[in-house]
Amino acid sequence: MAKTDNGIRICQGLLILGNVVIGMCGIALTAECIFFVSDPHGLYPLLEATENNDIYAAAWIGIFVGFALLALSILGIVGVMKSSKTLLLVYIILMLITYAFEMASCITAATHRDFLTPNLFLKQMLERYMKSDTDNNNDKQMTEGVTKTWDNLMLQCCGVHGPLDWQEYTSAFRMTHNDADYPWPHNCCVMNTRSEPINLDGCKLGVPGFYNSNGCYDAISGPLNRQAWGVAWFGFAILCWTFCVLLGTMFYWSRIAY
Amino acid sequence: MHPLLLLLLATAHGLDKLSYKPTLVGGNVEGRMTGSTFVLEQPRCVFDSYSTANIWLVVATREGMDAFNDSAQPGMPEWSFQRFPTNTSAYLTLGAMQYHYGCPKPDRELTVLRVGSETDCADNISVPNCNGPLPGPGPYWVKFLALNGSEPTATTEWSGPITLKTAREPQSIPGTGGARSGAMIAITAILSVLLAILLAALLATLCSSEACGVGSFRPDAASIRRYNTHHVYDQPAARL
Repeated sequence: MAKTDNGIRICQGLLILGNVVIGMCGIALTAECIFFVSDPHGLYPLLEATENNDIYAAAWIGIFVGFALLALSILGIVGVMKSSKTLLLVYIILMLITYAFEMASCITAATHRDFLTPNLFLKQMLERYMKSDTDNNNDKQMTEGVTKTWDNLMLQCCGVHGPLDWQEYTSAFRMTHNDADYPWPHNCCVMNTRSEPINLDGCKLGVPGFYNSNGCYDAISGPLNRQAWGVAWFGFAILCWTFCVLLGTMFYWSRIAY
Repeated sequence: MHPLLLLLLATAHGLDKLSYKPTLVGGNVEGRMTGSTFVLEQPRCVFDSYSTANIWLVVATREGMDAFNDSAQPGMPEWSFQRFPTNTSAYLTLGAMQYHYGCPKPDRELTVLRVGSETDCADNISVPNCNGPLPGPGPYWVKFLALNGSEPTATTEWSGPITLKTAREPQSIPGTGGARSGAMIAITAILSVLLAILLAALLATLCSSEACGVGSFRPDAASIRRYNTHHVYDQPAARL
């Protein structure tokens, strides 16, 4: 009797601990996903223009799953302390639903991160940067987003692989800017404090020190990779822990006497 | 017979053939060749003995190189940029006094000539020596010609063929989709298995209680139930 009592107490303690951890992880997941959705690096317009912005959808799901985990963990703690079969059954079923949503978020983030290759951004940059003849309002909005994002990126880099991307391929930019005056956009030049190139001829010649010679792919893929893997792996870790807690809860539920 | 006659004519006019060959600038200048421009090294220390001459750059196609007449004059429409390459196979441009190419070459300065950099005079026939953007990928041959007034005094060798870049269409960029990474497959597989185990455990838990089973099979649960029943019967009996 005493042994069973102790056993029950240990079980309750473990479950309460497990739920506390789930609650805290839920808060952390919400905070992380809010950070990603706020787009601190300003790269969202690039994804929106590829019509492939599902890693943001994954982050949005993560926000709501985090809240759900927090609420359900409190329900779980109350249910375990009261040893109530009803409460715990509700807890288990709602947790399974939340589990399914979080699983969807992780898989989406991981899958869509694989789509973000250099060629994807290269093609988009060539076809949309400074495109002058836009078909409709949607096209115009996407073009403006891409142009503004690239202008921002080009303060520290040029092209996707390098400035020669502008030479190797024709582009919408090339339609309105001739090759001799603009071998690459003037935004690639090193600027002074008044946003003018410090040496325009040096920039056009491609002399080191007067233009940005590195490609922008690292600056784009770095933050996006961190976002995708942050959502995917942290979610995976939470789900593994939740798996254990749920199994324990089901075991405890089956042992509860009426 | 013919070459001998040409040689005699050349020396009669005082035209020196220098062995310098114009070259493109070195590799660390990334814009050395674009779609319509290229960058040459300046002919430093080449025309030292022609201090009163004007040095001109001759740009020609293959036909122009074969047919070029060293008595070309820079102002003449036959050698103007605007008629190149349809009506003329060579043109003169980038004229400069010899002292611009002084010797020795300054140490830490970049001494280059960018052929094709002037876009505003490209269509202006009143500027026949315009250094306009080259109209196609080429190939082109160049050489330097020193003119004293209107007489040619020296000329360098022709350069090797210079072929400019041809840009490809962005539609030709290959597959923009990525392959499935190992991490994504691992996440999907493991999470699916875990979810399946959870659902199975839920079914087992529900069925082992009153929901779908024909009574409980586990002796533990039965013993707890019997114990409770025993207690319930005991209380009224004790009260009685």
